[in-house]
Amino acid sequence: MKHIDLDSLRGLLLKCEKPSRYTGGEYGAPASEGENFNFCACYPDLYEVGMSNIGIKIVADSFLRRGMGVDFCFAPARDFGQGLRELNVPLYSLALKAPLSEFDMLGFSLSYELCYTNMLYMLDLAGIPAEREARRGGKYPLIVAGGPCTVNPEPLADFVDIFFIGDGESVDADVAEIYMQCGGATEEFYRKISELDGVYVPALTTPHYNADGSVERFEGISHVKKATVSDLDGAIYPENFAVPNCESVHDRAVVEVMRGCYRGCRFCQAGFIYRPVRKRSVETLTRQACGLIKNTGYGEVSLNSLSTGDYGKLPELIKSLKSELPPEVTLALPSLRVDSFEGDFAQDARKTSLTFAPEAGTQRLRDVINKDITEEEILKAAKSAFDAGYSAVKLYFMLGLPTETDEDLKGISEICEKIRLLYSSQKRAKSLRISVSAATFVPKPFTPFQWERQADEQEVKHKQDFILKHLPRGVHFSWSAYYPSLLEAVLARGDRRLGKVILSAYKNGCTFDGWDNLFCEDGWRKAFDDCGICAEQYVRERGEEEILPWDFVDIEVSKKFLLSERKRAYDGKVTGSCLSGCKGCGMQKMCPAARGEI
Amino acid sequence: MIAFRYTKTDGAEYISHLDLLRHIDRILRRAGIEVGYSQGFHKHPRIFMGNPLALGVKSVSEYCTVDAATDKDFAQLFNRFSPDGVKCLAWKNTEQNPNFAESIKACRYEATGLAHFDAEEILSQKEIIITDMRGRTVDIRPRIYSIEWHGDKLVFTLCCGEKNLRPDLMCSYLKELYGGEAKVILKTDSFGDSVF
Repeated sequence: MKHIDLDSLRGLLLKCEKPSRYTGGEYGAPASEGENFNFCACYPDLYEVGMSNIGIKIVADSFLRRGMGVDFCFAPARDFGQGLRELNVPLYSLALKAPLSEFDMLGFSLSYELCYTNMLYMLDLAGIPAEREARRGGKYPLIVAGGPCTVNPEPLADFVDIFFIGDGESVDADVAEIYMQCGGATEEFYRKISELDGVYVPALTTPHYNADGSVERFEGISHVKKATVSDLDGAIYPENFAVPNCESVHDRAVVEVMRGCYRGCRFCQAGFIYRPVRKRSVETLTRQACGLIKNTGYGEVSLNSLSTGDYGKLPELIKSLKSELPPEVTLALPSLRVDSFEGDFAQDARKTSLTFAPEAGTQRLRDVINKDITEEEILKAAKSAFDAGYSAVKLYFMLGLPTETDEDLKGISEICEKIRLLYSSQKRAKSLRISVSAATFVPKPFTPFQWERQADEQEVKHKQDFILKHLPRGVHFSWSAYYPSLLEAVLARGDRRLGKVILSAYKNGCTFDGWDNLFCEDGWRKAFDDCGICAEQYVRERGEEEILPWDFVDIEVSKKFLLSERKRAYDGKVTGSCLSGCKGCGMQKMCPAARGEI
Repeated sequence: MIAFRYTKTDGAEYISHLDLLRHIDRILRRAGIEVGYSQGFHKHPRIFMGNPLALGVKSVSEYCTVDAATDKDFAQLFNRFSPDGVKCLAWKNTEQNPNFAESIKACRYEATGLAHFDAEEILSQKEIIITDMRGRTVDIRPRIYSIEWHGDKLVFTLCCGEKNLRPDLMCSYLKELYGGEAKVILKTDSFGDSVF
């Protein structure tokens, strides 16, 4: 492979913010070229964000263990991207400093919808045509994409050769092997891989649309099952992390305790697409954590999952980690649910602020969304945190949930008031800080709310104003801008016709759409106008009998179950956690919890 | 204590001083070399770095002291666990902290890419007034100890420490005066009682 000489970029690197994002050389990063196949894991966000992502590390590891070459690349900030363009230097990988076009496969990890334009940005900087059709017959790498967003791959179908849906750790590298066997991206190659679980080849499926914009049918391959790793305990996990050159978002060792979540909150896409819940054993996790601490030199281990408090052996795990890890290493437990919070865990982290996500202001609405927490539990957890010395509370809510009324919004200020009373009931050293953050609800595919409409701009504005008016004095309130939430919903629920809008938005200068300060609303609005596509059309309520754009993807949770959950939501009925008995989501055959393994 | 000389090359010259401190801490942890911690409310590892090197300037003459001891080959251990470009070149055990930030008085650099000029001409000037990065006017002439050409390479020695003169600033001054552009700047030597 060709290599870029860093010294030739000296002038540019010195002009840019944090140049060490672009120099590679991290300790622990793989840095050798593969003989037969080279894979570059691309994360369409800044270095500091991408280096914190565990998914790409797992996928990269699955290639490495088969003796293939692996490298990484992140989206350069605009200053560096612009500079590369001016110097006519293509975007290059971190360790090998090879132009991306030299690789056999570029794998984009799509964690959130607002990074889609960044994928086009990276391809553009690499000198690779964004559109699949324009690459046909050319000598370009395979452009593949994985990550949670690919459960609805259609908005990016114009750009991506292969989508990986579900757990990527085995199938991605399988595809690379078939690629080598077939001697390239031949017809035989595509036919063979399309038979694998978790592989979607958009060229082999053609959606047809009705006049009203809904899907009429899928021509060609019309059923793609997600890939599932059944044995997480035995699944590969990197023994080493590349330690970032500059401080990253999560600069620490991470172990993945569980994949999936028992709770089934009805708004939460991850809670459905990562089913069934699979766990790693205390022994495996202890071994992995100790190995990572030794190999990276980090001082903190994070126990990651969607809901670490639901890990049945959490006390054993913490005990085991504390006895095996060096004493100065701290544990971080993100995503602890309110009801599993205990003061003595919290003291470990030496933090002053605690975050709760009640999501909705009243018990009625929390029942609707199946967020199985009571106000009592929130207050109890807050009390134990205050007693442990915490003096700041962050509360996360969603606005525009189905059936939400002003009563529910009032509930938000009532919770704040109660927390304040609770704090002041005792003499405490510091004054209390409460901040409330309200995001706009985005109805996502494969949730019981996938048919719901999204609240429009006026409704959302009313809700934000209402909260602002009613919140107790001194509570800090922040909310998300409307348009990015609309866009997130459109891209999440979109179909293949959005490809041209995304490309046009990119051409209008849209990149880093997830960054408030860089978001360019005008660029997106113009893109929709120019393409003659109405964004609002995508966030309308969908009919239950309609074929949804993502219906050909099978995440193995049955549509029947999602519909019954939708009905229960409207009836205000809580379904509760899988831990309280199997709810029959359709995955019973492959679900350890359904077999009583908790 | 262990005092050592190390490099900042191969891309590591773009790592900031603060990040480099973090890296050295982690290298030593990975190497299993225990570092003493400061006493006090916010405990921090006792790692004493030399003066910060300007971003983008390479060096084979960086110095650091750590409050640690080892009976193994420190350089070998360090280099096994360090990122690219941060490599230990020499080390010694020491009773006293050599305090490199104070004790290094001058550094020698070499730069390539600048247009040729008469080095004597620079040295014959009584004062050279420039505007530094904070917009202050400074006379840098007393801070220039030597300057000469070795073929295409400009070799120059500048004051370091209290009356520091950044080599990149020096090069941009020369660029403005004579043209060309420093493509690579490398610190080759440090001078002071403590260096080895």
